[in-house]
Amino acid sequence: MKEQLEEIRRRAMAELSDDAGEAQIDAVRVRVLGRSGELTEIMRGMREVPNAERPAIGQLINQIKREVEARIEALSEKLKAASLTKSLNEKRLDVTLPGMRVARGHIHPITDILEQMLAIFESMGFEVAMTQDIEDDFHNFAALNFRPHHPARDMQDTFYVDGGMLLRTHTSNGQIRVMEKRRPPLAVVCPGRCYRRDDLSVRASPMFTQIEGFMVDKRGRITMAHLKGVLTEFVRAFFGSTAVRFRSSYFPFTEPSAELDMHCLLCDGAGCPVCKHSGWTEVLGCGMIHPNVMRAVEYNPDEFQGFAFGMGVERTGLLKLGVDDMRLFFENDLRFLDQFPALSGGVR
Amino acid sequence: MKLPLSWMRDFVSVDAPVEEISRRLSYGGLVVEHIEKLTPGFAGVFAARVTNVEKHPNADRLNLVEVDAGTKGQFKVVCGAPNVKAGMLAPLALVGAQLGKEPALEAAVIRGVQSEGMLCSERELGLSEDHAGILALGADALLGGDVAAYLHLDDTVLDVEITPNRGDCLSILGLAREVAALFSGRLRAPRLRAAHSAASPDSAQFSIAVSIDAPDLCPRYAALAMTGIKIGPSPAWLRRRLELCGMRALNNVVDATNYVMLELGQPLHAFDYGKIAGGKIIVRRAGETREFVTLDNITRTLDPNDLLIADSDKPLAIAGVMGGLNSEVSDSTTTILLESAYFEPMTVARTARRLGLRSEASYRFERGIDRAGQVGALIRAAELIRKIARGREASPIADFEPRKSEPREIALDLGAMESLLGASIPPGVARSRLKSLGAQVSTRAKGVLAVVPPSFRSDLVEQADLIEEVARLGGLEDIPALLPPRVSALAPLNREREFIKGTREVMLGCGLTEAATLAFIAPADNARFSGIQIAARPVKVTNPLSAELSELRVSLMPGLVTSLRFNLNREARSFHAFEMGKVFRMNGDIATEHSHLAAVSYGPYALSAVGEQSVDAGFYSLKGILESYFDATGVSPRIAFKAIEPADAPFLHPGRSAIVSLDDVPIGLIGELHPAEAMRLDLSEACALCELDLSNLIAYGFSPRKTFQPPPKFPAIRRDLALVLDRNFPADMVVKTIREGGASLLESVEVFDVYEGTAVAAGKKSVALACRYRAEDRTLTDEEVNRIHAVLVEQARMRLGAELRQ
Repeated sequence: MKEQLEEIRRRAMAELSDDAGEAQIDAVRVRVLGRSGELTEIMRGMREVPNAERPAIGQLINQIKREVEARIEALSEKLKAASLTKSLNEKRLDVTLPGMRVARGHIHPITDILEQMLAIFESMGFEVAMTQDIEDDFHNFAALNFRPHHPARDMQDTFYVDGGMLLRTHTSNGQIRVMEKRRPPLAVVCPGRCYRRDDLSVRASPMFTQIEGFMVDKRGRITMAHLKGVLTEFVRAFFGSTAVRFRSSYFPFTEPSAELDMHCLLCDGAGCPVCKHSGWTEVLGCGMIHPNVMRAVEYNPDEFQGFAFGMGVERTGLLKLGVDDMRLFFENDLRFLDQFPALSGGVR
Repeated sequence: MKLPLSWMRDFVSVDAPVEEISRRLSYGGLVVEHIEKLTPGFAGVFAARVTNVEKHPNADRLNLVEVDAGTKGQFKVVCGAPNVKAGMLAPLALVGAQLGKEPALEAAVIRGVQSEGMLCSERELGLSEDHAGILALGADALLGGDVAAYLHLDDTVLDVEITPNRGDCLSILGLAREVAALFSGRLRAPRLRAAHSAASPDSAQFSIAVSIDAPDLCPRYAALAMTGIKIGPSPAWLRRRLELCGMRALNNVVDATNYVMLELGQPLHAFDYGKIAGGKIIVRRAGETREFVTLDNITRTLDPNDLLIADSDKPLAIAGVMGGLNSEVSDSTTTILLESAYFEPMTVARTARRLGLRSEASYRFERGIDRAGQVGALIRAAELIRKIARGREASPIADFEPRKSEPREIALDLGAMESLLGASIPPGVARSRLKSLGAQVSTRAKGVLAVVPPSFRSDLVEQADLIEEVARLGGLEDIPALLPPRVSALAPLNREREFIKGTREVMLGCGLTEAATLAFIAPADNARFSGIQIAARPVKVTNPLSAELSELRVSLMPGLVTSLRFNLNREARSFHAFEMGKVFRMNGDIATEHSHLAAVSYGPYALSAVGEQSVDAGFYSLKGILESYFDATGVSPRIAFKAIEPADAPFLHPGRSAIVSLDDVPIGLIGELHPAEAMRLDLSEACALCELDLSNLIAYGFSPRKTFQPPPKFPAIRRDLALVLDRNFPADMVVKTIREGGASLLESVEVFDVYEGTAVAAGKKSVALACRYRAEDRTLTDEEVNRIHAVLVEQARMRLGAELRQ
């Protein structure tokens, strides 16, 4: 019986060679360990074994059983590993192929620029107010100290529409609309579309975007020095560090009035054709709110004062993005729009 | 305004280089747009007097001329000009002179006679094409002096942009005053004194009467008659100055009036005295006078309120705008009437604008001329006309001022100035800056100045104006840059802006690119794309740029469709874009504006990996975007899509379009473009469009977070059913009906498939639905769910009249 067992062991181990396949391993398992396998058969024949030998034979059977099981286990593990390796190889991807894209649109550059500007002013404590495009003469002109027939009205060629209204020529109407409703202290920016009678061309558009901003408080609290400070800070935040200068100018609704220039971004002040060799580019107009504007909104000009400014978003965008043709903003050519980020606004 | 520096130097001496003058003017509020440095086309040409003229011994047409060139010496030259005569002053080019691009002038022997130089015509000096004779210089030319300098050929001209408030700077004197103030220089204003004495023999013959019937429009009118005039060309130096300032020379009288206008800023007009009936000027409104022929020979239609200069018979000029053909100075004029008046800016502006007539004169009147400068300008003009047109004053200056101007005194509180500017400017500095502008300054009280602005600064009205002057003359450099104290309370969030920003984020995230289109549109496009409001009346632009841009858009769709076409014409395969902007329509008589969102989707939509199928845009892909958007705003449960009546959107596919409503109020449209419209636009694929009026959504906002609900603790059990219904029965009605059945423990009902085909009858469809059941407190058993579901199925079948599909 012992010889018989040794023979089972020898044969099983020989068949469970290192290169045994799955089928062969299975065959050995069934033949040796199966329900009616060789070892089971011998167990059944234990009755015929003398009592004295039984423990030894039993031990041997168990030993062979464990050995064969262990060997099968080891071989199966090996086979599994090999098959995994094979399958990993088969499922290999070309990682350089394009990914599956989730569509994401592109923000319009005017919005992008506008949101960047608003983010700067909001972080300086300004709130945002939206006001109307269709406006009356009072809010677009008269309250802003444009007298009837005054030559200053020629500076802005106005569109008139049915119903005796006009399309606002600037966002300065926002100043009037907000101040009429509220009392100082106020720090507000009013973005929006404006309209002037210019043909769409490289330099101009009949519709464009502006931001009007103003700050009003009790006399002495908001001064022209603050106007300079806020706008210098804005230019620094928006364009990066660059030289700025304030020049006297004229707007009917501010007194004193000024224009803010910065070093030309192309030549950094050295002078080039773009800045007409002056080294400077105009950024915005500003000034201390005219007493007549205060009166128009029933603020006492002896009690309140403040500053206001206005700038063109497309113009500033042209400067920052280096766009050289105004028409690009309104054609919606994807080859242009796709160059802009898919994230909106904010200071970057 | 063109500013030749040589002319400016008649009134102020400034050593600074031109770049510095230009810089300070610009900082002070008068932008120098251009600096033009002129160089004469010649050198080595001097003023000389002809002392003797003799015939050339060997040539009939030539003369031997002796000239005296002062410090340069005496010379003999050969000259062929017919106008050469003893006593005249002429330009003499000496040996070595450079004339244009010719080689330097050499001594020459002409027909056997040595010529030591050449007397020059205008053409030889490159001044004009005139070669009829030598150029006659004025008697004021210095013998031996450089002709280029005398003619102001060696000059620099600044082109200065004058802001509308600075009418006083529309003159050489005004700009010289500004330069003097900016450089603390001294202004040499011209001294003007009348030359006429009342005892003149002409006085009786050339009387002037003036009647001002409209003193509200013309507070002052001064006039002067001059006689003995010989009309002819002006001297070269004067013509040159006019030309440097961009004006054309006409004849000596007109040139003299223009010269004075440029120099002093007072527009003048010269009438032919002989054409004025009775020598009487009447300043009146046009009234019944309907038409008038201006000197450009155009018949102008008048408004009763236009201000006219007339005599007792007829109008002579439109005041401040243009003179008339009937009283124009002509070559035969010998006596003139010079007008120097102050017309109110508003009346000139209104008339000039209405007639579309902008002249140098009207431009100045509109901006306000010196209220007190009328008589001085007449004196200056008379002086010139005496010199260049041989005229003599034939009357005293008639000066009528029915409405006197009172000098205004403005208090300047230095403390208020400091608190406006945020900078302290020493009182002495403020005082001297104001004085340099011509203001009278005295002390009213401690820290308060009393300032009387000069008569030519009508723009200085109140304290703020004076503060600006003080700040401006310092180039704003006295003022530091400081940050204001931060606003302490948080600014209120702008709901509309936050909503627009959120909407943009969703649209970008859904793969739509943001577009911007013009608000101006062709009436045909408004008619074709009515947008949400089918009966919307468009807002017409009263003064459009063109017929194609003569209305404001009632919908954002046409702009997006145009952009789609634009891109397809440029090799694009697809176009997925949205725009947020204003649309406009008439509400009764009132033009109103509305914030809309619109989107267009065309071509392959979802970008996919290599080799995978992409989805083409269509009704459902765009509807999906809108649904994602409504989910994001939290408004989805209140939104419904309903099939559209074709008449409500004729530009959309009648079977593939829907009205979007919020709480049963229509807020938008979605659909595919009508095939006829697509064909017109040459679109080969489906073009999906939608538009929403954002106002109701803005009012609702992005919904605030609801109270927390714990995730369910027990699993849901799903049971499906399929109902066979009429093909046109809307799926959302099925869901709604089942939900209304009120089956207990039913958590959700969703359509997961729709089938049409051979397995169902023609005209029918099978709608497959997934119902989920869940209890809050236990795991449901199959038996329990089967029981509830069976009831639900039976109810659905009955209520919908549907067959069950097995």
